[in-house]
Amino acid sequence: MRFLKLQLPLLLTALAGLIPIVAFFASPNAVQVQWTKDRLEKYMIIIASFALMLGVINVVQSNVKKIERRQKGWHYGAFLLAGLISMAVVGILGAINVGPFQGIGFRPDGSRTPFQWGAEFVFNPLQATMFSLLAFFMASAAFRAFRARNVEATILLIAAGVVMLGRIPLGESILGGRPYLSHFTDWLMNWPNAAAQRGIIIGAALGAASLSLRVIVGIERSFLGIEKTD
Amino acid sequence: MDRILYWLNVLVRIDRRWIFLLIAAGTVVPIIFPIGFKVSITPAVQALYDKIETLAPDDVVLVSFDYGPSTAPECDPMADAVLRHCFAHGVKVVVLALFPIGGITMADQSLARVLPDYPNVKYGVDYVHLGYKSGGQATMKQMGEDIHNVFPVDRYGKPLGDLPLTQRVHAYRDMKLVVSLATGIIGEWWANLINAQFGIPVACGCTAVSAPKYYAFLQSGQMIGMLGGLKGASEYERLLTSGYPETTRIYGRAGLYTAIKGMDAQTIDHSIILLFIVLGNVAFLLGRRRGSAGPAS
Repeated sequence: MRFLKLQLPLLLTALAGLIPIVAFFASPNAVQVQWTKDRLEKYMIIIASFALMLGVINVVQSNVKKIERRQKGWHYGAFLLAGLISMAVVGILGAINVGPFQGIGFRPDGSRTPFQWGAEFVFNPLQATMFSLLAFFMASAAFRAFRARNVEATILLIAAGVVMLGRIPLGESILGGRPYLSHFTDWLMNWPNAAAQRGIIIGAALGAASLSLRVIVGIERSFLGIEKTD
Repeated sequence: MDRILYWLNVLVRIDRRWIFLLIAAGTVVPIIFPIGFKVSITPAVQALYDKIETLAPDDVVLVSFDYGPSTAPECDPMADAVLRHCFAHGVKVVVLALFPIGGITMADQSLARVLPDYPNVKYGVDYVHLGYKSGGQATMKQMGEDIHNVFPVDRYGKPLGDLPLTQRVHAYRDMKLVVSLATGIIGEWWANLINAQFGIPVACGCTAVSAPKYYAFLQSGQMIGMLGGLKGASEYERLLTSGYPETTRIYGRAGLYTAIKGMDAQTIDHSIILLFIVLGNVAFLLGRRRGSAGPAS
C-alpha cells in the first residue's frame, strides 16, 4: 500500500521531472531520450484536458453542496449549474453530431451551431460585463485610496499620475502636442519598471526551480496530500 | 479657504454612484460621438509594425489568440490590426487559440471581422485556423517539434496535410514571427519558453494591466515588439492607416469598434479619474495642514 500511495507516485514524479531536464541538455541524436520527452509532452497535453474536467467536478460538487445547504447566494450556484449543464449537453451533442446539434463552431454555411450561439451571445457578453465593472470600481477606489499619506505613497501617486496621463493623448495636448509625458512614461516603464519586473521574474523563476527540485527529489510531498513527516 | 475646504470635503465624500455615472458617461459619449485624439507612436509598437513590413510574401506569421471575452475591448483591435496588416502586406497567417476561456471564439470573431475586406485571401493558401488546444506550455513546445502532431486537423476538421499552407509549415522553423495576443501568462511563455528555446521572434499584444511585466522581456530582446493596452492598439491602427491608406476606409466605417475610438473613451475616463485623485489629494493635504484628520478615505 505504501508503495502505491507514496513510493510509486514519487518515482513517477521524479522521472517526469528529470526526463525533460536531461532531454534539454542531451544531444538531439539521443533518440531514446528525445522520444521519451516527446511522449511526456504529449501526455501533458492530455493530462491538462483532464485537469479541466477536475475543475468542472469541483465546481459541481461545491455548488451542489451550497444548494443543498441553502447557503447564502445558493440561487447563483443553481444558475451556474444550469448554465454549465446546458452548455455541456449542447456541446457534447454537437461534438457527436446528434440531431440539430451538428458541430460546436460555425456550420459550413456560416450559421452558428447552438453551442457557438451560447458561447457568442451568452458567455462572451457575460464575461465582458464582469470585467467592465472593474472600470467603475477602479475609478472609485483610485479616488478614495490614492492619497499622498507618506513619501512612498507620494512617489507611487506621482508615478501613477504620470503614467495615466502619458497613456492618453491629453497628456500631449497639455504640453502643446509635444510627447514629453509619453516619452517619460516610456522611460518609467522601460527602466525602473523593467528593473523591478525583472527582479520579480528572476525571483519567481528561482523559487519555481527550487520548488521543482524539492518535488523531484521527494522532499515536497504536499501535492500527494502527504505531509513531509508522513 | 474654509469654504474651499468645505466644498472639497463635500466632493471627496461624494456618493460613489456619481463617480460610476461619470465614468459611464465618459465611456459611452465618446464612443457615440468620436473625438479622434491623436496618439504618438511608441518604439515598441513601431518595432512590431516594422518587423511585419520586412517579411516577404511567402513568410508565415503565427497569431495566437491567448485572451478571452473579458479583455476583448483591448485585445480585439490589436488582433484585427495585426491580421489586417498581414493580409494587406501579403504574408501568410496561421491562427490558433491557447486560452481556454473563449480564445477560440475570439479568433473566429476576429477573422470574421477582418476577412470580408480581403476577398482575395484564401483559406488554406493565405491563412489557416488551427483551432484551440489545451496544454499550454506542452502544446507550445510540441509545436516546435511538429505542428501536424499537435493539430492533426484544423478548426474545420480538415487534415493539415491537405492545406497548401500547412503542407510547408511543420514547426516554428518554418515561421518568421509569433504574435501573441495575451491576457494572462501565455504571452510570457511565448517569450521565455518559445523564443528562448526555438529562437523565433515573438511580439505580444497585451492588456494595459499586463504591459508592465512584458517590458522586462522587451528590454531583454526576448520580445521584438509590444502593443500595450488600448493605446498600443490605437498606435498600430494609426501606423496601419498611414502605411496602407486603403485601410482608412475600413477604420472610418461607422459601427466598427476600433482602438482609436476606444482611446477617446479611455482619455475621458483617465482624465475623470485623475481629476478626482487631484481633488481628493488637495482636500487631504489642506485638511492635514489644518490639523484635522482630513477627508474620509
